[in-house]
Amino acid sequence: MLQTGLIPNAHNDLVTDASYDFYGLRLATCSLDQRIKVWQLDETNGTWAVESEWKAHDAAISKVCWAHPEFGTILASSSFDRTVKVWEQIPATESDAPQVNGSGGAVLTSKWVERAMLVDAKGTVRAIEFAPQHFGLKLASISSDNQLRVYDCLEQPSLTTWQMAEEVDVLNLPSGSRSNNNTANVATPTQQPSTTPEAASASLVAHALQQQQQQQGQPARSGSGNREADGGWCLSWCKDRYWGELIAAGCGASGVVKIIQLTQSRRPFTVLTLDPSPSQTSTNDASGKNAPASDGDTPTPFAITSVAWAPSCGRSYHLIATGGRDGRVRIWRVRPPLPSDELDGEPDGDASEGKWSASIVGDFDDHKSAVGRVEWNITGTILSSAGNDGRVRLWKMTVGNVWRPAGHISVEQADEQQADVDMDADAED
Amino acid sequence: MAQEDSTHLRPSLIKHGGLQKFIDSGKTLSVTVSPRDDSIAVYATSNSHARPSSNSSAEYHPIYMAIPHLPPSGERRTFLTDTSVIFAAAQNLVRVAREESVQIPDTVDGIKAMTKLALDYVNHCKECCIYAAQETARRESLQFDADHYRKLYTCFSLFMVLYMPEGGFEDAPVGDELMDWLNTHYIEPSTEDGDRLSSLDRPWEDETFWHYLTRATLRGLSRASAFFLGVLSQHPSPNLQHLSQRLIPLLTNHPRLHQFAAERDFAVASRRWKDKVKSLRLELDRVPEEDREDGFENWWERFSDIVSILEGRGDSVKRIVSELGGDWKEVCAVWSVFVDTRIRRSDLPDLVEDLLDELPPDPTNLEDVIHSSLFLGRPTQALSQAAELDIWLAAHLVDIMESLQLIDVEPDDSEHSIRDHYILSYAEYMRSDPSLWRLTVDYMSSCSEIGKAMADQVLMHVPLRLHRPKGAHEGETEIAQIHAGQLAGVLKEVIATCFEYKREEVRRMICRIAAQTFMQEKEYGLAVSYCASAEDWPGLGRVVDRVLEDYITEGPETFARLVANMSPVLHSLRAAPGAHGVFLHRLMFAVRFAEFHQRRMMGDLQEAAFDLVAMFREDLAPRSWWAVILSDAVELLQHSQSMLFTNNDAVLFLHKLQEIDMRCAQGAQDDYLAILARTMKGAGEKQIFQRLQVIRLVLARYTARCGVIGVGGRTTQGTVY
Repeated sequence: MLQTGLIPNAHNDLVTDASYDFYGLRLATCSLDQRIKVWQLDETNGTWAVESEWKAHDAAISKVCWAHPEFGTILASSSFDRTVKVWEQIPATESDAPQVNGSGGAVLTSKWVERAMLVDAKGTVRAIEFAPQHFGLKLASISSDNQLRVYDCLEQPSLTTWQMAEEVDVLNLPSGSRSNNNTANVATPTQQPSTTPEAASASLVAHALQQQQQQQGQPARSGSGNREADGGWCLSWCKDRYWGELIAAGCGASGVVKIIQLTQSRRPFTVLTLDPSPSQTSTNDASGKNAPASDGDTPTPFAITSVAWAPSCGRSYHLIATGGRDGRVRIWRVRPPLPSDELDGEPDGDASEGKWSASIVGDFDDHKSAVGRVEWNITGTILSSAGNDGRVRLWKMTVGNVWRPAGHISVEQADEQQADVDMDADAED
Repeated sequence: MAQEDSTHLRPSLIKHGGLQKFIDSGKTLSVTVSPRDDSIAVYATSNSHARPSSNSSAEYHPIYMAIPHLPPSGERRTFLTDTSVIFAAAQNLVRVAREESVQIPDTVDGIKAMTKLALDYVNHCKECCIYAAQETARRESLQFDADHYRKLYTCFSLFMVLYMPEGGFEDAPVGDELMDWLNTHYIEPSTEDGDRLSSLDRPWEDETFWHYLTRATLRGLSRASAFFLGVLSQHPSPNLQHLSQRLIPLLTNHPRLHQFAAERDFAVASRRWKDKVKSLRLELDRVPEEDREDGFENWWERFSDIVSILEGRGDSVKRIVSELGGDWKEVCAVWSVFVDTRIRRSDLPDLVEDLLDELPPDPTNLEDVIHSSLFLGRPTQALSQAAELDIWLAAHLVDIMESLQLIDVEPDDSEHSIRDHYILSYAEYMRSDPSLWRLTVDYMSSCSEIGKAMADQVLMHVPLRLHRPKGAHEGETEIAQIHAGQLAGVLKEVIATCFEYKREEVRRMICRIAAQTFMQEKEYGLAVSYCASAEDWPGLGRVVDRVLEDYITEGPETFARLVANMSPVLHSLRAAPGAHGVFLHRLMFAVRFAEFHQRRMMGDLQEAAFDLVAMFREDLAPRSWWAVILSDAVELLQHSQSMLFTNNDAVLFLHKLQEIDMRCAQGAQDDYLAILARTMKGAGEKQIFQRLQVIRLVLARYTARCGVIGVGGRTTQGTVY
C-alpha cells in the first residue's frame, strides 16, 4: 500500500462516513459536525478540494451515499436526527441565493438542494444505500428501531416524492417458507435473555413502548446511548439483477445477517440467514429449524455492524462480507438456487425457495477487536476492512479460491518515527 | 511487488502505543474504496453507534488516501503498453485457433506463431532492461531498475528454452540451448578479467588465471580457452606447454549438437572426442610429481580439473562450479554439455531435483526460485512465484502456458481458471492507473464470463467528462464536438469499446448517464438522442418532463430555444420502427408546443395557430396542459388583423374548456389546473378561474365573430403540417 493523498482536516469533528461517487472523482463526507462536504479530486496532482459543503442535519450524520449517475447527481444522508435526506446537485442560476451552500468564495457553478426528507424512522438511521440502478431510483435505510425501509422515488426529475414501499421488521421477519414462520421467529437467536434487553423486546408492541419511553422519558439525547446499542446496523443491496431485489441486513446482537427478498407480489421474507455460529454455518432458513441449538450454549451476543455485498461480476455465486463486534471479518459465498431448480426462471417463485445456501470462504480474526467496516472494490476482488486495532486490512483471493491477507494500513506512528510529526510538513504528501 | 506489506499513514493519527487511548475515547477507523483505482480513503470515525458525543474540535480530522499498487509510470508504462500489443496478437491467435477448433500445440504454425510472440515478450524485456541500464538523463525517473527487467528477461527466456523448443527440437538434447541461456544472462568469466589477463606477459602468475581458464572451459567458450592455452606455450614447464597444445584442438573441436544434421552423428562424434580426452588424461597422469608446480600454483591440479570437466565427471563438475562461485543452474548447464550430453528437456526435472539437494536455490531470490520451478517442470508453482516478482510476468507467462496446455484450464472452486486468475490480477494492477482503462478492459475481456463482467465494471466507471470545463481547456474541442452532436472524446472510445466486446448493457447504461448529464446541462436534443440510443423510454419521458418544467419556470422563450434542437431527433425516432409509445407521444407534444411558441414569437401566427389546433386534434396535449394551451391561444384568438382559426377550431377549444370546467367541478382541479397555476406564478385559485373566464370570453367573442362574418374566417380544416 502506498499513501497517495491526504485531506489534512476534513471536518471540525469526527468524520462519520465517506463515500466516493460513481467515478471516484468526488468524495462525499459527513461528520458529527452535522455537515456534508463534497470534495473534488484534481487528477493532475491527486489533491482533494472542497467543492460544496453545507449543514445537512440537526444531529450527527451517520451515512452518506451517492445514487447512480443515470439518475443525476444525487446524495442521500442519514442522521441521528432520525431522518434521511435526499440532495441533488443542480447548476446554479444567476438568481441563486445560496439555498444550501455552494462552493464558498469561488464562482457559484452549482448548488446542492434538499429534495426530500424521509422521517419514518423511530430511531437513529444507521445505514442507507441506493438500490442498484436497474431497480430504479430506490433507497433502503436501516435504523436503530430494527426497521429496514425501502423508498421508491415516484417523480424522478423532481425527486420530491418518495414512497415507502417496504417497512420490514428485520428481527421478526418471516422466512421464505410459509409453513414454519412462527417457529423461525421464536428461534431467532437474538431473543436470548440478559445482556441486551432491547434485543429481547423486539416485538412490535414492546418496541413501540420503548419508543414512547424514549420520546417521553429521555430528557435529552444523552442517556439514550445504551438504548441504541442494539437495533439495525447495516445493509447492502445485491448488485445483481437476475435474482430480483435482495438486501442483506444486520440487525440486533444476534451475530447474523439476513438476506431479505423484496418482491411486488408478496411481503418481504428472509431467503437465507448468514449465521456463523458453529452448528449452523450456512443456515438455510427454510430448513432452519436447528436454530434452537443456540439455546443450549449461549455464545456471547455480538452485532454485525457492517455488511457488503460484492458486485457479482458474472460469478454464479455471491460474495458477502461481514464485519462485527466479535472481531471477525467473514467472507460468505452465497449460492442462489440452481437454475435447473426453477420452473420458469422466475426468481421469486416458491420453487426456488429454500435453496439458497451459504458457506464461509474466509474467516479472519486478524483485527482481534471489533470490525466496524467492510467494503469491496468494484470487481469484488479486494475486500477492505477497518477495525478497532487501528488498522485497515485488505483481503484478496488467491489461486484455488483461498482468501488471504493482502497488506494493512495503520494510522499509528511507526516505531522508528519521531515522536511528533509536523503535520504541515507532511501535509502535501 | 509483494503485497503483504504494512503501511503507516502520515502524519500519524495516533502516537506510537496510543491505540488504546484512541479506542477508549470512542474512536475507530473506517474505510471506503474508490471505484476509480481501488484506492482507499481511511479516516477516524466514531466508534459508538449510540449518539456520539462531540469530540474536541481542537483535534484535526484527516482523511488519508492510499492505493494498493504503485501506478505504472515512466518506462514501466511504456513496457506495459508495448507488451499489450503482443498480448492482443496472442489473443488473436487463440481466437483463430478456437474458431478453427484446433489446439495451438497441435499445429506447427500455431506453435511457430506463439513462439514468435513469446520471443517478442522476451525482446521487450531485454530492450527495457537495456534502456533502464542506460545512464542518461530521463524525463521521468525509472519506476523499476534495470535489474528488475533483467529478472523478467531471464525468467521469460528460460521459459522459452525449456517449454517452447524450436519445431523439431522438442525431443532433442537441450544442453546447447541451456548453455546459451546461461551465457547470455550470467556472463562468466568476466570480460574485464580476460582483457586484463591477456595484457600480461605471464598471465599464469596471476591468481585469477586458472579460474578464468576453467570457467571459460566450463562455459564452452573455446576461443577464450584456446587463447590462454596458447599463452601457456610460454610457460616454463615443457609438460604444460605440450599438454596445453594438445588441449586446444580438443576444446575447439568439442562436438556441439547444432553442428550436426542428425543426433546420431553428434553422438558418434562425442564418443570419439571423449576418447581423445581420455588419452589426454593418460598423458597428464604421466607428468612427474615434481613438475606439477610452477612456483605459483599447482598447475597440474588446475589442468586436471579442466580435463575432468571435458571427461564429464559429475562430481568434479559440481565441485569445480561451486568453487568458482557458480550455482545449480551453472552445474545444470555444464552437466548437459559435458556430463550427459544427450539429456532431454523431460530429463531435466530429475537432474535438477538432485542438484538442488546439494546446491539449494536461494529462497530470498525470487528469480532463482522461479528458475528452479521452471526447471523442475512445475509451471503452476512458477506462476505463483512469478506473481510475487511481478504480476506482469505471471500474467504473460500464464497466457502462453494455457495456450500450450501446460497448466490446468478448468476453473477452480472460485470459477476462475489459473490463467484468468493471473490475468485478472494483472488487470487489477493496471487499474491503479485509471487512464489505462483500455488495456485493463482488453485483458479482462480475454477471460471467461467473470472477467468480461469485471471489464463491464471498469468500462462503466470510466469518467465520461461531458461537463463543459470551467475555463478554457485543451479538451474543450472534444467536448464541443460532443455538444455538437458528434461522438468524440472518452464517450466515443468507451462506446466503441462496448461495441468491440459486444457489451450492449454497458453501452446503454453509459448512454443513459450521458443523457442525464445532457439533461442537467439543458442540452435536451442530445439528452433525447442518448435516451433513444439507450432505448430508455422512461428516461426519454423524464427529459420531456424536464423540458416542460422549463416552460413553467423559465417561460416560453427559453423553452422554445431549448427544444429547438429536439425536433430532428424526433423525426428520426418517428422514422424508426417499433417505437416507443407514450414517451414518444410526450416528446411530440413538447416539440410541437415549442414549435408553436417559436412561430408565435417569430410572428408566423397562422402556422402557430395550426400547431395549436393540431395539438388537440392529434391528441398530443396531455390534459394537464390543456388549460395552458388554451391560455396561450388567447393572444392568437384576439389577433385583430386576421381570423386564425376556423369556427370548428374555436368550437373544439370550447369543448376542451368545457371539459376542464366540468372535471374541476368534480374535484379534479389538480389534474387540470396545476400546471396553469404554476405558470401563473403563485396565483391563487381565484385568479386561475378568472383566467379560465377570460379564455371563455375570448372564445365566445371569436365564435361570435365567426358567426357575424358568416364565412367565419377559414372554414376548411387547416392542414396540420
